[in-house]
Amino acid sequence: MSFEEFQNSARLYVIGALEPEELQDFEAARRQYGAAAEDFINQCYGLHEAFALSLKPAKASAAIKDKLMAMVRERQNQSGAPPQ
Amino acid sequence: MSSIAGPSLPADPSSETAARTGKPIATAVELEPGALTDVELMLRIQAEDADALSQLYDRYNGIVKALILRIIHDETSADDLLQEVFMEIWNQAKNFSADKGNPLGWMVTLTRRRAIDALRKRQAYARAEERFQAEPEQQPLAWVQNVTEEDIHASDTRVLMAKVINSLPVAQQRVIELAFFQGMSQREIASHTNIPLGTVKTRLELGLKKIYDGLKELKDEL
Repeated sequence: MSFEEFQNSARLYVIGALEPEELQDFEAARRQYGAAAEDFINQCYGLHEAFALSLKPAKASAAIKDKLMAMVRERQNQSGAPPQ
Repeated sequence: MSSIAGPSLPADPSSETAARTGKPIATAVELEPGALTDVELMLRIQAEDADALSQLYDRYNGIVKALILRIIHDETSADDLLQEVFMEIWNQAKNFSADKGNPLGWMVTLTRRRAIDALRKRQAYARAEERFQAEPEQQPLAWVQNVTEEDIHASDTRVLMAKVINSLPVAQQRVIELAFFQGMSQREIASHTNIPLGTVKTRLELGLKKIYDGLKELKDEL
């Protein structure tokens, strides 16, 4: 697999779109290209942020945060951590 | 859709395969002067500072919920999952390392994985698919459909990201939508759309490359 082919596969890999039979070749190329491969894969994870940031933020119910923080405080109490 | 089971998602964001380096592609939110950075908040969350989690929630709940909603298409479930995701951020905070990437990337990877898992576990795939198919074909990308001409000229990060994605041919946008937001494999996309597998692969590769290249340019500008 050329490095360009590896790059195409890496972009599919980070979004989980590689087929199982492609994964084997991808992992072999990943080992072959070493640090350059890892660097490129790391950069590809930026695609995740990009897709999320392209979405229009959605409003959450105010009650969700109250419930979340109550759960966190309960967890802190259970673990003995001092409440903030 | 031939199967509920989808492709293997990338590994848990706390693991090495999800580790990311380098600067973030963009800053998601403008911080008030003196506000703690995302990394500073994460460090405080690691020290079990609940107020830091509260601040992180205020900063990113809209983005996280939008991502969840885009995947599961269910408002009530999205709120529940939003709460679960931030609880997981609290519980898994110790696995976050600033050396490996930025907090938003870590949260997005965690959220997407969790939302797609939820979609599969709850066997809601069929219902989500119905809702997805009910969306007008001419607007396959709800994720950018609200971008107006006025928005296009704005410098808001979201709009810039949407602009990059919106520049793709609709056919490429659609396969990327199915892969990223629905967690479909190439075969599942081929089955779902009646497009040959090779065409699906080509469209995914071309589309992702264009987005990746566009983001690199954007990153250099920021």
